[in-house]
Amino acid sequence: MSRHVKETNLALFVSGDLSLFERAAVRFHLSGCENCRARLEAFRFDRQRLKEDAGQLPTGLDWDRLAQEMTANIRVGLAAGECVAPRARKQASWNWGISGRNWNQGRSWNQGWAPGRAWMPAAVMAAVAMILSAAWWLNLPSSDTASLGRALNKLVHGREPVVREDAPAEESGPVVHATANSIELRENGNSLVMSQGSTMPVSVNVGAHGSSASYVNDAGEITLTGVYVQ
Amino acid sequence: MCSNHLSGILSKIVLLVLATAMIPFGALVFAIPASAQSLLKIDLPKDTPVTFLSSDLGESRATPIGKDYRVDLHASLTLRNSSAKRIRGLTLAVRAHEVTPGGTGVVWKPSLDIAPGDSFPVQLNLSLLRPGVPGESTPSVEVQLDGVLFEDLSFYGPDKLQSKRSLTVWELEAQRDRKYFKAMLDSGGREGLQKAMLTSLSTQADRSQPGVQMQRGPATNADPSNEVQFAFLHVPDAPVEAAGGSARVGANEAHAPRFNVSNLSKRPVQHLEIGWIVKDQSGREFLAASLPADLPLAAGQSGKVALDTSLRFTDQRTTIQTLTGFVSTVEFADGTYWIPSRAALDNPDLRRVVAPSPEEQRLSQIYNKRGLVALIDELKKF
Repeated sequence: MSRHVKETNLALFVSGDLSLFERAAVRFHLSGCENCRARLEAFRFDRQRLKEDAGQLPTGLDWDRLAQEMTANIRVGLAAGECVAPRARKQASWNWGISGRNWNQGRSWNQGWAPGRAWMPAAVMAAVAMILSAAWWLNLPSSDTASLGRALNKLVHGREPVVREDAPAEESGPVVHATANSIELRENGNSLVMSQGSTMPVSVNVGAHGSSASYVNDAGEITLTGVYVQ
Repeated sequence: MCSNHLSGILSKIVLLVLATAMIPFGALVFAIPASAQSLLKIDLPKDTPVTFLSSDLGESRATPIGKDYRVDLHASLTLRNSSAKRIRGLTLAVRAHEVTPGGTGVVWKPSLDIAPGDSFPVQLNLSLLRPGVPGESTPSVEVQLDGVLFEDLSFYGPDKLQSKRSLTVWELEAQRDRKYFKAMLDSGGREGLQKAMLTSLSTQADRSQPGVQMQRGPATNADPSNEVQFAFLHVPDAPVEAAGGSARVGANEAHAPRFNVSNLSKRPVQHLEIGWIVKDQSGREFLAASLPADLPLAAGQSGKVALDTSLRFTDQRTTIQTLTGFVSTVEFADGTYWIPSRAALDNPDLRRVVAPSPEEQRLSQIYNKRGLVALIDELKKF
């Protein structure tokens, strides 16, 4: 059997305050550990007792006086806190490990710095950014990505981005590429290659509307394959 | 307590984002290869003179490659001439609307001699590549008949790809070249024909074809500010004369060619094509492109051809030095055509760069692969 479950975790398990993964781990341990199950039952019994006791109010209680005392205590505590140390706004804003146990020290929730967990938000944000980038890369056509990049560049610099003169112009329509092997039509990131398999063409002809490659088979038949641009 | 709640919420958010991001992966990993039959649709009109008999899709397949989708189609179609006339040429349009809406793949079959009732094969080899888009179906192609040319030069078909013009010009060139090679055989015997074939093969081997890119508008962000004047080759008997013209040239790109043309004939012209020859920095000349223009010209009338087209050599080391043009085809208003004669093509400047006709390529390959006897037999068929 592995190490027993900590008491704090058992208490949090009973109150339903454990995280999803920790709850599953504790439940798994309890299924095979008689000792921890007994401790768990003790926690449940105590919790039930506390609930019952909380339901029975003391007799002759002066509620108004009690409220005034509590308010005064809180004010004194806050003032003392201000005297002892300046407020650490930045720390508080980054503190995800809120303890909630120092009520009597004057602050309703003690937002002390918890350096052990400070990396968590940054790590989560980085992971989410990476996943979103990957999803974007998988889904967005490259031409759209390039266009978006140019738009962002223009937004940041307030002017048209400087581009190399020999860079291909943004495709505004079909483009025909003729090589010694085949004719290819490219449009919006898609492509259509017309060929005759592994057979090399006898000649390639390029035209403003139609381009073609000629193939002659062993039977002496000629076939021209190519593209026609409207 | 809040710490635990926050951790739990963050864990759930991360899981949700991960699951969302994995959707495209899942779409590709679990993509079921489409059946070959679903990749190809053949659409022939009811009154077609060419009927579809069968298709063999062989190794055709659709494959997810990374984030992209690739379709390789290797089909052999068997068609039959169901008309009463011999077929000389045929054009099939290969459409993939969802991939390339602005262009069409084409298979041309010139130099045919299909008797009525005979069947013949047409090979279809193409690759489609489309970036992966979740939710979209596998790209497919549709094959349509664009035109059929008969031995009497009559034509059938929707002609959306200017098939009538292409097939007719190729048939006229085929008739011209067969006549030429028959004359070589008659005058010089087997040696004469052999010599003509060797000359043709040698010229074809010497003719280089650099990689080029053709598109509307400028091909690069550079502003080709050099206005380069065209020189024009005189083609004997050409009914249209090109004189004066220029294009904007920058390094390996030429853009917006313009020509002045005059109709020298007594017949109205409706269409012409100009061959565009480019010389690079090392003195090599290429027939870079052919420029078609629908330009009605009455007898004796002059006009201007201006095209918003750019030509770019894919090898960036190529630098365009000079531009030369010549009139390669003229279509008259009555539907007849002018093509250069064999004598005109004997001009060394033209012979060096102009590709031989499809028929000359076919005949020379028959000689190359099957020998002189097979070539003579082929010439006797017509």
